[in-house]
Amino acid sequence: MEISKKKEESKLTVGLSGRLDTLTAPQLEAVIQNDLDGVTELVFDLKDLVYVSSAGLRVFLMAQKTMNKKGSMELCNVCDDIKEVFTITGFADIFTIK
Amino acid sequence: MSLITTCEKDNIFYIQLHNRIDSSNAPVVEEEILGAMKTCTAPTVVLDADDLEYISSAGLRVILRLRKVRSELKIINVSSAVYEIFEMTGFTEMIPVSKGYRKLSIEGCEVIGQGANGKVYRLDQDTIVKVYYKADALPDIHRERELARKAFILGIPTAIPYDVARVGNSYGSVFELLNAKSFSRLIAENPQELDKYVVLFVDLLKKIHSTLVNPDDMPDQRAVVIGWVEFLKDYLDSAKWEKLHKLVTAVPVNHHMIHGDYHTKNVMVQNGEVLLIDMDTLAQGDPVFEFASIFNAYVGFYDFDHDRSMDFQGLPYETTVSIWKKMLPLYFGTTDEAKLKAVEDKAAVLGYTRLMRRLIRRNGFDTEEGRKTIEHYKNQIETRLDFIDTLQL
Repeated sequence: MEISKKKEESKLTVGLSGRLDTLTAPQLEAVIQNDLDGVTELVFDLKDLVYVSSAGLRVFLMAQKTMNKKGSMELCNVCDDIKEVFTITGFADIFTIK
Repeated sequence: MSLITTCEKDNIFYIQLHNRIDSSNAPVVEEEILGAMKTCTAPTVVLDADDLEYISSAGLRVILRLRKVRSELKIINVSSAVYEIFEMTGFTEMIPVSKGYRKLSIEGCEVIGQGANGKVYRLDQDTIVKVYYKADALPDIHRERELARKAFILGIPTAIPYDVARVGNSYGSVFELLNAKSFSRLIAENPQELDKYVVLFVDLLKKIHSTLVNPDDMPDQRAVVIGWVEFLKDYLDSAKWEKLHKLVTAVPVNHHMIHGDYHTKNVMVQNGEVLLIDMDTLAQGDPVFEFASIFNAYVGFYDFDHDRSMDFQGLPYETTVSIWKKMLPLYFGTTDEAKLKAVEDKAAVLGYTRLMRRLIRRNGFDTEEGRKTIEHYKNQIETRLDFIDTLQL
């Protein structure tokens, strides 16, 4: 998985490509833990993400909990397969998905 | 040969469609369906498309005309391919059309586990399917998946329940594949690391117990345990029974999550991450109820036959008892022997209550060994009731 980060003032856009699974989830977790200082708008661009496992979903959940205290979070460019995973797990009701 | 088959169940008349319906057979299909409808006395007619592979516009027009005869008509068990035809033509907006379960073949799939209810197969690098032995497992499957889903969005680490599929004549529940080892296996392989695993095991337990659930979402364990106690009314000394009943009803209602079957085979580690499986016993209630079931899993079950711990936990009895003894100080944050003994007695009195009821229901009184075991459970409960004054941990 590759992670790209783009910061514009208090908005952070995190682009993910490849597989977000148990092996790569810790990389994203590190971003959530280290790069959210002063961020009030967090956007995940999932255009090139092909797979998300439960470990990946838990990192999104953690990010959502962090952002609930300080701003907003959204997931954009979500492909149908991954949208399906958000729907069946019930995460679609928790996240803002565009 | 008839192009349709019919059956009636629970006041619903099912008309099963087969293979293909196109211009070559649509008129015959229509005639047969109309004929069948004439014989039907049930208030509802349903078209079952489980065996339907294709439908052309001529077939769709038949359905439209049938709808005029029976306005309640709906179509069920539609495959993805046929659903697409209904959707593209706008039919899904006119008539209730529901998809059937995806059909899965497990031919050539590796068996990776086997339990009391079914077998687990590896489907591909990311998914497994748990195929149930009994054909009518659907309500159980949906119940477990719903509990797992609720726990998952509350932050309890578990595998993703994907979809339900038809596998031959039974049903399978598709889950994310975890490349994980159970704590039981890890402890068996590295007994010198036991302390480390017990710490992780207790950490996850605390996380579960600190998770608040919506009261409507999970069963109330307190009510379940009151049921166990009520069952034992005629089998315990009446003053003792009164006391047990009073103790259990005095346990406060608690909306925090409990797992209900928390043991080292149901907790896994994947790349250092601790995960929980087997969510069908999830409930809400006071932790004392959880400790009752943990006591059984590590101590109570094996009172008469220590070797059985190998069957249940894959661990020798000395190890299971040691896990139980090591858990308590970690969970309760004390090494005070008297306090820990009090916790154990509270867990044990409820644990044995469950075991006694279970054995009586399984015709335990029919054998000499059964009677002896029931008497043992009774003693374990009654002696503890002499000094237990609250089940508060």
